[in-house]
Amino acid sequence: MTQVNGTTPPPWAGQSYSVKRHGITLTNCDSEPVQTPGCVLAHGAMLVLRPTDLTILQASENTDVLLGRAAESLLNQPVRTAIGSNGETSLQAFLANEPTDRNPLYVFTLPAAGEVPPLDVTVHTIEGVVVVEFEATGRTGASEPDYYGLVKKTVARLQTARTLREFCDVTADEFRALTGLDRVMIYKFHADGHGEVFAESKRADLDPWLGLHYPAEDIPKPAREVFKQIWVRPLPDVSGDLAELVPLTNPDTGRPLTMTYCALRGASVMYTEYLKNMTVTAALTLPIRSGRELWGFINGHHYAGPKFVPYQVRAACEFLAQVVSLQHQAAEDREHLIYRLKLDGTHQQLVAEAALDGGLATMTDGRPTLLDGVVSGGVAIYHHERWWRAGTTPTETKLEALAEWLKDRPEFASPTRPLYVTDSLSRDYPPAAEFADVASGLLAIPLSRSNRNLMLWFRPEIAHTVNWGGNPYDKPSVPGPNGPRLTPRRSFELFQESVQGRSAPWLSVELDAAARLRMLVMELVVTRAELLADLNADLTRSNEELDAFAYVASHDLKEPLRGIHKYAHQLLEESAEKDYEHRKRLDGLLRLTVRMDSLLDSLLHFSRVGRATLQTEDTDLNKVIDEAIEMVDARRTEGLTEIAVLRPLPNAFCDPVRCREIFVNLLSNALKYNDKPHKRVEVGFIAPHEEDPRPGCPTGSDDLTIFYVRDNGIGIAPRYFEQVFKMFKRLHGRDEYGGGTGAGLTIVQKLVERHHGRVWLHSTPSAGTTFYFTLSSREGA
Amino acid sequence: MARISPPPALLVVVEDSDEDFETVVEAVKRSGVLTEVRRATSGEAGVAALDRLAIDRPVIVLMDLNTPGTDGREALTILKTNPALKSIPVVIFSTSANPKDVEFCYAAGANAYHVKPVQYPDHLQLVIDLVGYWFGRVELPAAGGSGS
Repeated sequence: MTQVNGTTPPPWAGQSYSVKRHGITLTNCDSEPVQTPGCVLAHGAMLVLRPTDLTILQASENTDVLLGRAAESLLNQPVRTAIGSNGETSLQAFLANEPTDRNPLYVFTLPAAGEVPPLDVTVHTIEGVVVVEFEATGRTGASEPDYYGLVKKTVARLQTARTLREFCDVTADEFRALTGLDRVMIYKFHADGHGEVFAESKRADLDPWLGLHYPAEDIPKPAREVFKQIWVRPLPDVSGDLAELVPLTNPDTGRPLTMTYCALRGASVMYTEYLKNMTVTAALTLPIRSGRELWGFINGHHYAGPKFVPYQVRAACEFLAQVVSLQHQAAEDREHLIYRLKLDGTHQQLVAEAALDGGLATMTDGRPTLLDGVVSGGVAIYHHERWWRAGTTPTETKLEALAEWLKDRPEFASPTRPLYVTDSLSRDYPPAAEFADVASGLLAIPLSRSNRNLMLWFRPEIAHTVNWGGNPYDKPSVPGPNGPRLTPRRSFELFQESVQGRSAPWLSVELDAAARLRMLVMELVVTRAELLADLNADLTRSNEELDAFAYVASHDLKEPLRGIHKYAHQLLEESAEKDYEHRKRLDGLLRLTVRMDSLLDSLLHFSRVGRATLQTEDTDLNKVIDEAIEMVDARRTEGLTEIAVLRPLPNAFCDPVRCREIFVNLLSNALKYNDKPHKRVEVGFIAPHEEDPRPGCPTGSDDLTIFYVRDNGIGIAPRYFEQVFKMFKRLHGRDEYGGGTGAGLTIVQKLVERHHGRVWLHSTPSAGTTFYFTLSSREGA
Repeated sequence: MARISPPPALLVVVEDSDEDFETVVEAVKRSGVLTEVRRATSGEAGVAALDRLAIDRPVIVLMDLNTPGTDGREALTILKTNPALKSIPVVIFSTSANPKDVEFCYAAGANAYHVKPVQYPDHLQLVIDLVGYWFGRVELPAAGGSGS
């Protein structure tokens, strides 16, 4: 709405304000004197009396219609001129005994006179005057409904509501039943002042407005202030006439009448225009308060012409509105309690599953996920140096930058409750404007103090989540009778501005639950870390013991072995040329001790390979293979042999000494188990993108660089593909193919596994074998 | 041993295994080096023997690591921290090829470390070589040089 220039005087400057005369010239509803409109709704009449003698000071200009006397003729007359002597007596007694100050109360019913129906007379005092209002009773002659019974039943229903929504649904239903209006809405204010139709009861054929949001500007500040003071505001006929007070100001004081508490207060032209824009023909509004604050409204609309809600019904409504005001907080508390229990339940389940799984991945990928807890559009966790996401979140690149920014937030330094929360992230962190649609709201908790492990909840921008109460997308802009003010389109534009980059607010129950979840997760992480530390300590201990055992065992076994060998040797020397059989057995004994010696050495070597720390570095494998070929060369068997490296090998991140041992073992096997006259060994690799076949390749290794050693040797039958890797497993006689302990491939497998790689083979018996291996579990790692 | 001058070199063997000690004796015999061999079957006995000794001739200690009681490691440490004895070369002769043992012994001042071969001829030859080397090739501390 355009702001009135502060220096421009209002159109009624220098004279008394009358909404009837000046209303339509308004340009700013916040400047409208809504509490002193100078007019009453013309379906009723009003007299303003001097309290001391009950002389009529002002009268609405329509008294001739309802009270049978023109306003001018009543001025300065005693009130009995209008209501008769009995009326005056009753009024006098009432004013003397009842708490009427700023509290309109029913006094009596003025009997019908001619065409005029019986009139309910209500009275209140304010600022030194007595205000008497006259309205038709609305009674059709039938007996009074049992308002007490109705209200009692409603209150009972309200008290059983388990959630705020249920509570509001009951309220809307009961109000509609009581008033007979076409639509009753419970309108709830959000923290930023904009409102939402939170519950609705309506005539079946009307479009639902439930869930629609309205900009804060739709209910001007003066109107909100009024509803902190009064409990009911009827507007029985939106298009009804207004009747001005005569005179406009109090002749005793020269002041306009404060009509805040008047049921007949002349409606603001802004208000009636707004209602007309929504085709509303009659309205009834009651506040729902939360202490001194306005929490929302009970808003009744009627569409089928004027709808007069008589005083008695309004009084029942007023009472109900007070009950609702006192009890909605309890309903909301109940709801929050239920929400809190649900959040804690979900979070505990999440932590339990994470504990079972050993990581936080289940929180985004499992069932339930974090999304089942705190209401949000997306969640992200940074843990173990990677992101886990669910729902709609910013991209990982954006999350990285956000995490960097978050880690220095002062909120995270809080020793008791490190938690950053906002419903407008871009206000604190301007780059967030780029992804305001998915992450205007952010709730962030750190999961550790040292590194930047995080848990984040995102909420989308309100503009993306709400239905605006004017369907701005469907309807063209229709200016109202007084230009573009208070038209749906105009309001929407304002509204959009007010919610730009804003998410729905975070509830304190949600922050509490997030803080508790943080404690649970940290406890879990710490417990796991302790567990791992314990396991590591155990492992170190058992490794050391195993190490010591291997050496001691080999020492203790070798000592007698040396003795046996010695005696056998001496016996053999002494038995020279004597007994062939005898010598043969002693030879066998010597051979066995030598074999046992090499078995013990292999065992020792294997146990060392399994535990020694790898010295990994970026390694030129070409140097490694050259050294390996040189080492194997000495063992090269008779005949024509050839070791070919087809193309330069790539670099790999590995331990070059261990890697050389892999190649030495594979190369010497390739030459050893080879009966061809021309022994040929080929060393090569398959890069990840290359098409070459990878027979037998384990899943997960096919997109890694694969090294291979291929021979044209005796081959291995498929049933032995697994067995060849077993400790001391030999496929051939002890002395065939140059003997050996059968530990070479076991050691190769161990070395490859130490590099997180895999080793496997493919072979065709009598044609050749290829051993394949990888040196990592991740490419580029 | 009736020789008076010069006194023969002394080889102190700390060894609990009879077979291994016999091998040493056999090797010394075959080496042709004129050496007196004394045996201790435990580390403390070896240390005690050396302590009592008036060192007036070349002495070499051949020490097995895994002996009962005070083992070779302790005996080595005691010898190498005793100012009177620390200049006597100590040659470790062990079954253990544990890198930890090797490192420990050199750090503690061992002068050489050898692993006993299982095969008798190799074992024998190694000791022959050792005796030949330490008493034939190496310049040892002057007799009585550090004696107290």
